[in-house]
Amino acid sequence: MKSIFDDSVGHAKNVSLGLGIIGFCGCLIGWFVAPRDFFVAYLFGHFFFLGLSLGSLALLMIHHLTAGDWGYAVRRFLESAVGNLPLLVLLFVPIFFGLANLYPWQNRAVVSANETLQIYLNPPGFVLRTAIVFAVWIIMARQLLKWSAEQDVTVSLEPTRKMRTLSGPGLVIYPVTMTFAAVDWLMSMEADWYSTMFPVLICIGQVLSALALVILLLAWAARSSVLGSLASEENFHKLGNLLLAFTMMWAYLAFGQLLVIWSGNLPHEISWYLHRISCGWKWIAIFIALFHFFVPFFLLLMRAAKKRRPILARIAACVLAAHIVAVWWTIAPSIYTKHFYVGWLAPAAFLGIGGIYAFAFLKNLETRRLVPQNDPRLELAVPT
Amino acid sequence: MSQPYGLLAEFSNHEDLLRAAETAYAAGFRKMDAFAPFPVEGLPEALGKKTRLPLLVLIGGIIGGVGAYYMEWYANAVSYVINIGGRPIHSWPAFIPITFELTVLAAGLTAFFFSLGLSGLPRPHHPLFNVPEFERASQDRFFLCIETRDPNFNRDQTRAFLQGLSPLSIAEVPE
Repeated sequence: MKSIFDDSVGHAKNVSLGLGIIGFCGCLIGWFVAPRDFFVAYLFGHFFFLGLSLGSLALLMIHHLTAGDWGYAVRRFLESAVGNLPLLVLLFVPIFFGLANLYPWQNRAVVSANETLQIYLNPPGFVLRTAIVFAVWIIMARQLLKWSAEQDVTVSLEPTRKMRTLSGPGLVIYPVTMTFAAVDWLMSMEADWYSTMFPVLICIGQVLSALALVILLLAWAARSSVLGSLASEENFHKLGNLLLAFTMMWAYLAFGQLLVIWSGNLPHEISWYLHRISCGWKWIAIFIALFHFFVPFFLLLMRAAKKRRPILARIAACVLAAHIVAVWWTIAPSIYTKHFYVGWLAPAAFLGIGGIYAFAFLKNLETRRLVPQNDPRLELAVPT
Repeated sequence: MSQPYGLLAEFSNHEDLLRAAETAYAAGFRKMDAFAPFPVEGLPEALGKKTRLPLLVLIGGIIGGVGAYYMEWYANAVSYVINIGGRPIHSWPAFIPITFELTVLAAGLTAFFFSLGLSGLPRPHHPLFNVPEFERASQDRFFLCIETRDPNFNRDQTRAFLQGLSPLSIAEVPE
């Protein structure tokens, strides 16, 4: 039986596929016309959507370990995002052709000035490490999805137990692998710069953006009755509390990194921030401080805002939008160091990758029932 | 004979207590309180109890934060100006950690002391302790007490009302 929700999923799927194709056509033109702008925009688009999938993976593992009933409400959304990881590997391939455009360690002058860089930062190493981290993520994702599918058709506790067993080590493996990825893909865009807090900040940003996305999706699904009592006021309240916690943690880490580098005031460290507050970038930084932290933080302090679905959905949309800007602000100033810049290629890459991502996401969502089946802890969480 | 403190009804589970509290509130009783071995979700709302604690904690936190920033600004930029590594005298990033810590500390202390003070603690004795059954309020029984000072209180009618909620027992609480 098809519900109103299924219809809107089907409709959204067609729209996102169309937008994705248009976006990719734009990207293809961009690759020939302005290769450097294209690669920056493409890395930005890819990294944002990869963040949604990896953040979902982390949230899914947190849920398998803690079994809060908020997680049953959003579990299919998390699993659909996690299921997109193989697609993201495929979409990463163009970046391998743009190393010379993106990374200064590809420039002989920079490398010869600092030879130790060459030992770690070189194209074969970059490709190898990228392949390894993707392989690790995909293995974890595949196992979790496989066991989740088994759980749906059996009353045995075995799949539940397996998911929980993997999730413990998985939550350690994720930040460790993400550290290597963040160093290679983002930090090395300014070859001399390093910050030990940066990978953690990236991880928390990914979890935060994934959480904002699933809150939006849950609010969307709650308009029809497919999720039943799972889309309750209490579950929105709990997700709102989690959103508050991750918003605070993100701000804590972002400020912590700033404070350490600002206090040290060393040329090779501070340059990263100088690029990010030069001219127009300063206003972007202020925008991020306001809409990635202050506005959602103060709104989320209010219990009434967390319990009411339309208000919480708007706060989540604000966080998600601010996170898009924050990803651009993290990546682009390393290339456009003097002035704020965003060309037509950034929206094109965002649409292209986002459209394909959304299409695959909705396809994953369609294949399974929205309410998890046979989880032994779900009956306790949702009294019928 | 002096007035009793109130009437105490005993229930075996939290659902009955919650229903009793809602019925009593609907019947117009306001000066009443409920007792349970664990926090019962929705019970304060059912009794019509409103707390000012969140507002007080917010005010406490704001005083702590503003006070901390003022203290740092006054010490570094006014009272004892000192050049640290050539940075501006009023270096706000360095002031944030202390501001944050004192916000949390002041809010936490406000929550601790006001939650005690607003509930009338510390208090060594309470008329309810005169009822022997009340001991089980901290173990496995749930109680609703309607106090004599409620304007709607009437010894016989209130007892009949409580009887209508089918409690395990009803006891008169001596003052």
